[in-house]
Amino acid sequence: MKTTAAAALLLFQVVMMVYARFVPSRYFCWAPFDIQTEYKLQVEVGGRALNAKEVRTRYRRAQNGTDNRSPQHVMDIVQGYEETYGRNNPARVEMRYRVNGKQEQVWRWPRQ
Amino acid sequence: MAAAVSPSWNPLRCGGTALPVNLLVMAKAIAIALLLTNHVALLPDPFLPFVPGLDSIQPVLFQRTLQVVFVASALALLFNRSVRLAAFILGMTIIVSVLASKAYYGNNKTFCGFILFLTGLYQPGREPWMIRLQLALVYFGAGSNKLLDADWQSGVFFQNWAANRLHQPVFIAVSSYLPPLLLAKAISWITIATELGLSGVFLVRRLFPLGIWGNLLLHSGMLFFTGSTFTMFFYAMTASMLAFASWPASPMLVIFDGDCGFCALSKRWVERFDLENILDWRPYQSGAGKRYGITDADASQRIYLINGDRIYSGFSAFKMMVLCNPISYLLTYTVLAAPGAGDSRFRNVVVAILLFLFSPFFRPVGDALYAWVARNRRSLVSNSNCSLE
Repeated sequence: MKTTAAAALLLFQVVMMVYARFVPSRYFCWAPFDIQTEYKLQVEVGGRALNAKEVRTRYRRAQNGTDNRSPQHVMDIVQGYEETYGRNNPARVEMRYRVNGKQEQVWRWPRQ
Repeated sequence: MAAAVSPSWNPLRCGGTALPVNLLVMAKAIAIALLLTNHVALLPDPFLPFVPGLDSIQPVLFQRTLQVVFVASALALLFNRSVRLAAFILGMTIIVSVLASKAYYGNNKTFCGFILFLTGLYQPGREPWMIRLQLALVYFGAGSNKLLDADWQSGVFFQNWAANRLHQPVFIAVSSYLPPLLLAKAISWITIATELGLSGVFLVRRLFPLGIWGNLLLHSGMLFFTGSTFTMFFYAMTASMLAFASWPASPMLVIFDGDCGFCALSKRWVERFDLENILDWRPYQSGAGKRYGITDADASQRIYLINGDRIYSGFSAFKMMVLCNPISYLLTYTVLAAPGAGDSRFRNVVVAILLFLFSPFFRPVGDALYAWVARNRRSLVSNSNCSLE
């Protein structure tokens, strides 16, 4: 039983490492500090722009921040929030980000 | 029939439990770092969980329960109460926290949770292969992910991180003398090779000492370069090396000069901290060293320590006494984690000193110091009746 549980945990990680090769996110695959993402979130709810404190309260992420992982992690949080907790109070989000200091890219929610 | 002896309540004791001493020390070191860095305050309420439904649990109840269980299991571990169960529960607390909140998710927390979880699953009498495999997997994942990343291959990631994010002065200065991206690329590939190398080394028993040093140098290097422990990563990754350490299965024989007052004083001091009775002191005058080829002339000049089939003398013997004492690690991680979760120059200095003291580079100095003390021991302790012949 114990051996099975341990083996299952290790196997789960192997699966996630393989899965990470096909998706932009990097969960449970031991990719620490492999990507530096600098991002800025502009969030509008009901036509009003949220301030830094409101953005952090909504997404539990800084409005202007750095993520030491894939930018997908920030997108997942924003999208996940808007598809669940934020359904009745939807936001329009624009995330400007740079990966490893390269050219700025833009991600928007809702998707256009 | 003798009654089973309950493990000691003394947190400095690590013997007599359901875990081998080295694994318990590892788990305690991680628990100490978790407590001293106030990790309990970071434990989340459910927020965009990986496991659907976790966020239907009342958030305050969820978080408070996690925090209480976290502290209780960490303390149970420190005070030797059902240590396998305590490690398992502490690990599960962290794993549940990770699964409950994408905002809380982090590699360092996940690793702590997994290592403690696996420690809790340890089966007595067997090698901790699950923990060792976990380490190999972490390095393989990290190394292979970097290997397949174009920005790591080219050095772009490292250049941006070191120069633009960290403003690392040494890196900036050195790279200014080199072609663009060359230094960053070199460090990137060294990192990739190190991580992938470690993943293989940790699968081969006779290479474990190399792996332990590789791990310590890699994570200490990251600490010095960035000034950051990456939250729990530095503590957990270095502490987990104890799962690869060859720990003495029985007391180590120490051959010393029984006629020497300084030696007797030193013995009393060391015994004071030898709570696990890992050292069995025998004067050479008893003839205890003869079957190991230790002559009276040798033993009158320096101390000898026998660990299995290996014999250490002088400074090396003293180093082994420190390395095989759980208190050394518990004290070290307490000191390292004491400054808290933030960056600390004090921590960096302590790590640098410890690395140097236990590295081969210090050995000539250590041997010279030991020889000086041995030559002058008569004058170091009053009423000493040491004979140097």
